[in-house]
Amino acid sequence: MKVNQNCVGCAQCAAYCPHNAITVFGRASINRNCVECKTCVDYCPLGAISGDE
Amino acid sequence: MKAVIIGAGLGGLLSGAKLSKAGYEVEIFERLPFTGGRFTNLEHKGFQLSTGALHMIPHGARGPLASLLCDVGAGVTIIPSEPMSVIRNMAGEDIDFHDFRKEISLTKRVKLGTVLAYSLKFKPKDDISFRDWVMKYFEDEFLLRLADSFCGWSLSLRAADVPAREVLEIIDNMYRYKGPGIPLGGCGAVTDALCDVIRSNGGNIHTSSSVERILVDNGRVSGIFVDGKEVSADIVISNIGHMETTKLYKCSDEDYLAKLGKAKPSRGIKICIASDEALLGHSGALFTPYAQRINGINEVTNADPSLAPAGKHLIMSHQTTLSDNLEQEIALGLDDLKTLFPGKEYEVLMVQSYSGGWPVNRASSGSDTGNRTPVGNLYVVGDGAKGKGGIEVEGVALGVMNAMREIL
Ligand SMILES: Cc1cc2nc3c(=O)[nH]c(=O)nc-3n(C[C@H](O)[C@H](O)[C@H](O)COP(=O)(O)OP(=O)(O)OC[C@H]3O[C@@H](n4cnc5c(N)ncnc54)[C@H](O)[C@@H]3O)c2cc1C
Repeated sequence: MKVNQNCVGCAQCAAYCPHNAITVFGRASINRNCVECKTCVDYCPLGAISGDE
Repeated sequence: MKAVIIGAGLGGLLSGAKLSKAGYEVEIFERLPFTGGRFTNLEHKGFQLSTGALHMIPHGARGPLASLLCDVGAGVTIIPSEPMSVIRNMAGEDIDFHDFRKEISLTKRVKLGTVLAYSLKFKPKDDISFRDWVMKYFEDEFLLRLADSFCGWSLSLRAADVPAREVLEIIDNMYRYKGPGIPLGGCGAVTDALCDVIRSNGGNIHTSSSVERILVDNGRVSGIFVDGKEVSADIVISNIGHMETTKLYKCSDEDYLAKLGKAKPSRGIKICIASDEALLGHSGALFTPYAQRINGINEVTNADPSLAPAGKHLIMSHQTTLSDNLEQEIALGLDDLKTLFPGKEYEVLMVQSYSGGWPVNRASSGSDTGNRTPVGNLYVVGDGAKGKGGIEVEGVALGVMNAMREIL
């Protein structure tokens, strides 16, 4: 998954990530636990996360 | 009559509850998979964090939001904060908010009484900021810091960025409605109760539905375009702020657009921490005028222990963001916590920052534009269209009341 410039760091994605794959410190960053399930995409209020393709 | 509402945040849900109660057919479309916007719970490790709010209702059980909830029949219990708030002074002692005058000289104390009484009655007409107002009359370091701490906690702004007029309106409202409270179950209990009201009045709420366009016919709204289809409506209420609303139709009213350009969203940082022992020991806000960045802290588990796993406390700090270096701002906040709670053990659960399109407030206090738009029967509600002197969700409630007075 990719995080774009729209991210403000609200951490909604991290709370809803079922794989504990997102940490947020001013901005979301996605770690190796990510299985590309894309749950975070829907929960981001700013459309800041997208798939890799 | 049919009303379509764009967004199921607090503003949209309050409007939906009020309109469905008045007999309107109400249909709400929310882009996210859940309702409540920035005013609902976010569960994390068994703690009820939130999507935005610090779980506080600024004027508690007697304020505008509480009375609107009661009016529409939303059952929410609001626990009054006791004490209302506390100030950590320069010596590191916690004093009751009402005793703040004891921190300044006797001469300034007397002057404060008269200046405040006069200014509450005759609010400054010009755009003097709250900071300049404090400087003009008092030139006092403690009062300045307290002003920043208060504005930072309750508006996520520096005192220099709020008109004195607006803060004086807020002080007026504090006398009128009294102090804050915490909804039992957290802020999500409020928005959930509103959803229940809307559904029991026959209204529909669609989640994961992003409104793509507002349809306008001869200067009047005729519906919206969502999920690949047109939905017609007699009125449309937008909960997404004026600016975002204009992006959904062709707006050519230059005066209106210029006015919107002036409303700035406020930004802020919330740090959520967990502790086995109480760090504050009360349910009011702790103002921290001598911290580097943090403006205030609360410990909501003293009002509602169910907001954390058994035996744990949930503590949240808030700071307005002073620079563009977010990482440094957060580091300074974390540093403040260490200084404020020396030797205490706690765990940082989550750091949440807000700005731009997902801010603390869409229109910083004092820069709201009202509920009307250039399009007939298209209204804006929420924290981009707050009522005068309304702090945060109280402003949202006052704004919704104003809009409903025009519509109903
Ligand atoms: C860190 C922080 C702390 C705060 N603390 C407090 C507090 O303790 N007390 C307090 O009173 N206030 C507090 N606030 C402020 C308060 O949370 C907000 O003012 C309030 O929740 C705003 O509600 P709203 O209805 O205006 O907007 P929102 O909650 O943003 O609702 C708008 C909704 O519209 C949806 N939407 C957007 N675009 C579309 C579209 N095209 N189609 C469909 N839906 C769409 C969004 O997803 C959202 O759900 C805090 C805010 C923050 C960020």
